[in-house]
Amino acid sequence: MRHRWLIHSLAAIMVAVPSVALAAPVTSGELIEHPEAWDGETITFTGEAIGEGMVRGSEAWLHVNDDAYADGSIAAGAAPAGYNSGHAVVAPPEIAEVVRVFGDHRHRGDLIEVTGVFNAACSQHGGDMDVHAHAIRIVRPGAETRETLDRGRLTALVLFTLGAAALMGRLMLVQARR
Amino acid sequence: MLRPSADDHRVVGMHTGKIVTGFGLLMVVPLVTSMVFAEWRTAVDFGIGLAACLVVGLGLQQLCATTHELKRRHGLVTVSLSWVLATLLGALPFSLSGQMGSYLDAIFDVMSGLTTTGLFLIQDLDHISNGLNMWRFVLTFVGGQGIVVIALTFLFKGTAGSIYHLYSGEGKEDRLVPNVVQTARVIWLISLGWLAVGTAVLTAAALWLGQTPVRAMLHGLWIFMGAFSTGGFAPQSFNTFWYHSVVFEVLCVIIFVAGSLNFAVHWAVWTGDRAELRRNVETRSFIVTLGIFVLLAAVGLARAGIYPDAMSFVRKCFYLLASGHTTTGFGTVYSRALVTQWGPLAMLAIIGTMILGGSSCSTAGGIKGIRVSLIARALREDARRLLVPDAAIISSHYHHIKDRVLSEGAVRSALLITVAFFVTHSVVTTAGVLAGYPLVEAAFDGVSAASNTGLSCGLISPAIPWGLKTVYIVAMWLGRLEFMAVLALLGWMWSVVRGR
Repeated sequence: MRHRWLIHSLAAIMVAVPSVALAAPVTSGELIEHPEAWDGETITFTGEAIGEGMVRGSEAWLHVNDDAYADGSIAAGAAPAGYNSGHAVVAPPEIAEVVRVFGDHRHRGDLIEVTGVFNAACSQHGGDMDVHAHAIRIVRPGAETRETLDRGRLTALVLFTLGAAALMGRLMLVQARR
Repeated sequence: MLRPSADDHRVVGMHTGKIVTGFGLLMVVPLVTSMVFAEWRTAVDFGIGLAACLVVGLGLQQLCATTHELKRRHGLVTVSLSWVLATLLGALPFSLSGQMGSYLDAIFDVMSGLTTTGLFLIQDLDHISNGLNMWRFVLTFVGGQGIVVIALTFLFKGTAGSIYHLYSGEGKEDRLVPNVVQTARVIWLISLGWLAVGTAVLTAAALWLGQTPVRAMLHGLWIFMGAFSTGGFAPQSFNTFWYHSVVFEVLCVIIFVAGSLNFAVHWAVWTGDRAELRRNVETRSFIVTLGIFVLLAAVGLARAGIYPDAMSFVRKCFYLLASGHTTTGFGTVYSRALVTQWGPLAMLAIIGTMILGGSSCSTAGGIKGIRVSLIARALREDARRLLVPDAAIISSHYHHIKDRVLSEGAVRSALLITVAFFVTHSVVTTAGVLAGYPLVEAAFDGVSAASNTGLSCGLISPAIPWGLKTVYIVAMWLGRLEFMAVLALLGWMWSVVRGR
């Protein structure tokens, strides 16, 4: 019984942080395909925060995508790999405020780990399928992305514009003669 | 069958050129949007698209310059051909963006936008540029009024009756005022009036919901365009599930129901005849059939037992059914949740609403309320005939802008289009089943495409076979133009090859 203190310590830790310790990692696809299996369960879900955080009084709505673009969008050079896929998350504003960068055309959003209770049809939110988060952790901070212009496109633009201008000029000339 | 003469081709070519030019000028809107947000790559893509449309449009106008008069068959072929060219050219910026799996996917999205369907194959929607997103909504908004209507508004002069053939070829037959060019302008007046008010209200709501001012303004404008055109495109992949707000959903319902009403009803109300809204046969038909299908879906949802309280139940059920019936395609559940949570009965109820659709001469798709009403009245009339003496004279009346007597011709015409819709629904459903998808899912997404609705249960994706994508593209086109213009184009092509 020399290790009794160790057992007591572990038990204390598990009591203190039960939900985080017991949360099951899951994907949005699994939640949407088998909602009844996860309803009411505490889950952990990792993905890119996109769009914006919408703060409404005591809660904030986030949307978290765990698709192929979480590490880089098509706009930033990734190849097309299907639709976006993600989940709606609602959290107290003080928890949601850790998210700084939201993914859009110009940004790769923060990659965040959400821990919370999954609801297949939430009675608090009009039947929405959502996750009530009680912890959000930044896995990888987001960043601005840059777009590049290629010469081929610019050449095509010039050629088409010249063609259109020539046709427009000719049409105006014909109309003026009439 | 007479082979079209060179003059016939010129008439079609010249008017098609005008419409393509008008369509190309629409790209100025996303071009400016891209420049405002410093999205230079997108701006270049739209510059190329705009210039390409002008080259084709102006080129056709000059190549086919003629003073020959536009006749009915020219009008139908012109409309059909304009839609083909507009779709092919409108797909350029999509394809150049790199967000599409193939050019066919880009064509799918443009056809979906123009036909106000709302299905999409664009990938990584949540990261696309504001310019490209703007183009999606311009397509759907303009498609709702009709690309011919916009060309008539701005590019056609005079009051020539022959231009009516262009207008009617796009699936709209009601003249709001005697002159067809003025009718086109009235349609735009109504739409722009709604655009101003609807965008302001939705922007205010989006701000209240916690969006930043710029995003609230863009989302307000885009959601209005998607709703009023009964298009169903939304700026985020979550569709209107993004907003998580009953207030926002109510606003959307008001706007998309308004969009699904006949423009003639709008004009009647606009000019002071408010009773038309209550008396119109299409409005009445919509309320009755929506009630029936909401009840059917409610039985399905009650059996599934997924919603914990009455409020959630009513909110989800009514929103999706109204969205389906107006052929909008907005959703507040994940696509796959229709299969994993709603189940077959509720899905069948939505399929029913999508088949019926909104009003004629509106932005909506489907069979249309007027045809449903005429067929129902004809059936009732026939049933009454069986119960009364042979000498009795039975006639039915209905109110659509004015009181009308039910005629055999009107019923026959309604039945023809209805049968054509059912054949199309059967073909797209069979195509889905042949591609290996379950019957209910194939029927759901197939009917959604053919009725220009846009709701999906997750079948349609960039990964489906190209053949199935093609079937859906043709179905969307047929559904929007209500068959006649497309059949006229096919007949034209046939007569070029086999005519004398």
